[in-house]
Amino acid sequence: MSDGTFAPRLTRAQFLKSVSLAAVGLALPGVVGAAQAAGLTILETGSSLLYPLFNLWVQGYSKIDPSLRITTQSTGSGTGIAQAIAGIAQIGASDAYMAGPQVKKNPTMLNIPLAISAQNIVYNLPGLNGSALQMSGPVLAGIYSGKITNWNDKAIAALNPGVALPNHTILPIHRTDGSGDTFIFTQYLSKSTPEWASSVAYGTTVSWPAVQGGIGAIGNPGMVQTTAQNPYSIAYVGVSFLAQVQAAGLGVSPLQNKAGKFVLPNPQTIVAAASGLIDSTPADQRISLIFADGEMAYPIINYEYAIVNAKQPNAALAKAIKGLLTWAIDPMGGSTGDYLSKVHFVALPDKIRMQSHARIATIAS
Amino acid sequence: MDSAPTGLARSVAKGKGRKGSISPFRMTLIGLAGVIPVVIGAVLLFLVVYAWPAIRFNGIDFLLTKTWDLGNLYADPVPRHGVLAPIGATYGCLVFVAGTLASSFLALLVAVPISLGIAVFLAEGVKRVLRTPFAIVVELLAVVPSVVYGLWGIIVLVPIAAHIIAPVLAAVFPFIPFLAQAGGSGFGLLSSSLVLALMVIPVITITVFEALNRIPKEAKEAAYALGTTKFEMVFFTMLPMIRPAIIGAIILGLGRALGETMAVLMVSGGALNYMPTTLMSPISTMASFILSQLDSAEQDQSGLAVQSLAEIAIVLFVITVIVNIVARLMVRKGAGVSR
Repeated sequence: MSDGTFAPRLTRAQFLKSVSLAAVGLALPGVVGAAQAAGLTILETGSSLLYPLFNLWVQGYSKIDPSLRITTQSTGSGTGIAQAIAGIAQIGASDAYMAGPQVKKNPTMLNIPLAISAQNIVYNLPGLNGSALQMSGPVLAGIYSGKITNWNDKAIAALNPGVALPNHTILPIHRTDGSGDTFIFTQYLSKSTPEWASSVAYGTTVSWPAVQGGIGAIGNPGMVQTTAQNPYSIAYVGVSFLAQVQAAGLGVSPLQNKAGKFVLPNPQTIVAAASGLIDSTPADQRISLIFADGEMAYPIINYEYAIVNAKQPNAALAKAIKGLLTWAIDPMGGSTGDYLSKVHFVALPDKIRMQSHARIATIAS
Repeated sequence: MDSAPTGLARSVAKGKGRKGSISPFRMTLIGLAGVIPVVIGAVLLFLVVYAWPAIRFNGIDFLLTKTWDLGNLYADPVPRHGVLAPIGATYGCLVFVAGTLASSFLALLVAVPISLGIAVFLAEGVKRVLRTPFAIVVELLAVVPSVVYGLWGIIVLVPIAAHIIAPVLAAVFPFIPFLAQAGGSGFGLLSSSLVLALMVIPVITITVFEALNRIPKEAKEAAYALGTTKFEMVFFTMLPMIRPAIIGAIILGLGRALGETMAVLMVSGGALNYMPTTLMSPISTMASFILSQLDSAEQDQSGLAVQSLAEIAIVLFVITVIVNIVARLMVRKGAGVSR
């Protein structure tokens, strides 16, 4: 601690020089970054569903580009999109593609699919959690709009012949916070049930009809916990929380798809649902994969999007973002089974990956 | 507190250094003190200016409507009431005002008697050696982050509310509809109020305890000299003497309860579009609703959703100010009576 032993004192001129150098470094990060390929930081923020996967990617990518600093945040899809538009975050993570009016207002924003996710319908019925109670869009819409209120309702019995359903009020649980899971769940209800489409419709939050016994929960962990604590409840939970759902001993419902078949989410049924929509995916890649055609198609799947501005402030940053995203969707890079199976996601089909590559290639300064 | 100012105190109170001129010290203090009203005014002004399109769009119905519907964010907004709004958008804050007032009021109903009891116990009922450790524990309660209370609420309190408190109340008071609803989820008014009560108790306790400590020994001795028991001394001499402090403490606690966000959000059950009817009803409070809805509101390109959230903030602000003014009037009246 003795003064001047190790650090030689700076003269006033030296001090000013070092300060001004630091100022130049702060003012021109692009130039310095390009010259030294160091000190670049990418902020990723948004979807809590994509967050665990992004953290795995950050670890993996640090071996490929050790100089790049990547910060990840789990803030919600709406915040992810908003901060990407505002330029606060370089990558906004979202379970939902940007809305039409939003794209019109921000034409340089890209919606880039990174992987495919799905959603489980889970329930807590004492004695029946092992018996894979079957559900359909219209029945779920009836439950969430308060038209079907008892577990022994004949609409539920019709889907589950031979199951002794309890005479008990249904407790439908929904997300209170804005959520991509609410977006895809309500989109399934909208596409399968015209009355839902014309009354409640879909969004990251919707104006939930008042249902006796209905509960609002926060986040996917809150959904699992609330379902586990409340017998006779039903909820929708992102597929990356399957392990927690199973640990809590909850039931997972096979869902009725457009072809009338009941299917559970797994790599086969997710790919089956996605593959039917490959050819109709538009160039801007904003498409709903909900309630897809196909015998084996699971009805609630979605692209996990990176929302990125095609116009970045400098070339170094654009290059870094391109490198990261290209690696993330590479089947030899971030889209191997090692990464995706941990969160039960599925890699993009080849043609969609090529589309994503084409979008990534347009990122520039 | 009541002693006449000494000569030194009087000159400090006048604050003048040399005759006529205002000292730099006083100038600095005025400047620093001015920061608070300026900041409060600036925040309110910002909120009103920012929320103005929503205030115009919603009108007085904002305070009377139970429905909160962002409308269709995936179609182009259309002009309505002179503002571009998503199709089907309706914003009303009645449910959140009701949830805020109900949970805060119930929290005080629980917290005030307990806090007074703890404060009296600390001041009079416990040996001097044990007083400090007890007081430290109470103060610790005040610094626990609210998210910790929320987590405790979800894991411990909510199941207790659902499986013990609700059935017991329903069995004991089957004739009172407000209390007689068994079989809820536990998320709702009761759990929110109890979590709030727990957060408010240390605030009230500490303030009242300090006021009790400032009571001169002579006053207590005088009461004893008249032959009162300890109980009578506390209830008829000490507590009336600090009535303004008690009301002030309750207002501090109410302020915390009205504005509490995270802990309530975690246990309130997130009610939307319906009013609480029983102790077990899910609720939403204004502060927690703003937090939980901001993410989705940001997807509204018309901006009306976020502006309507700002309007809720204005309503919360106004309610808080009204509560404070009423409390101040009560303190003044209470002070007049006790002297």
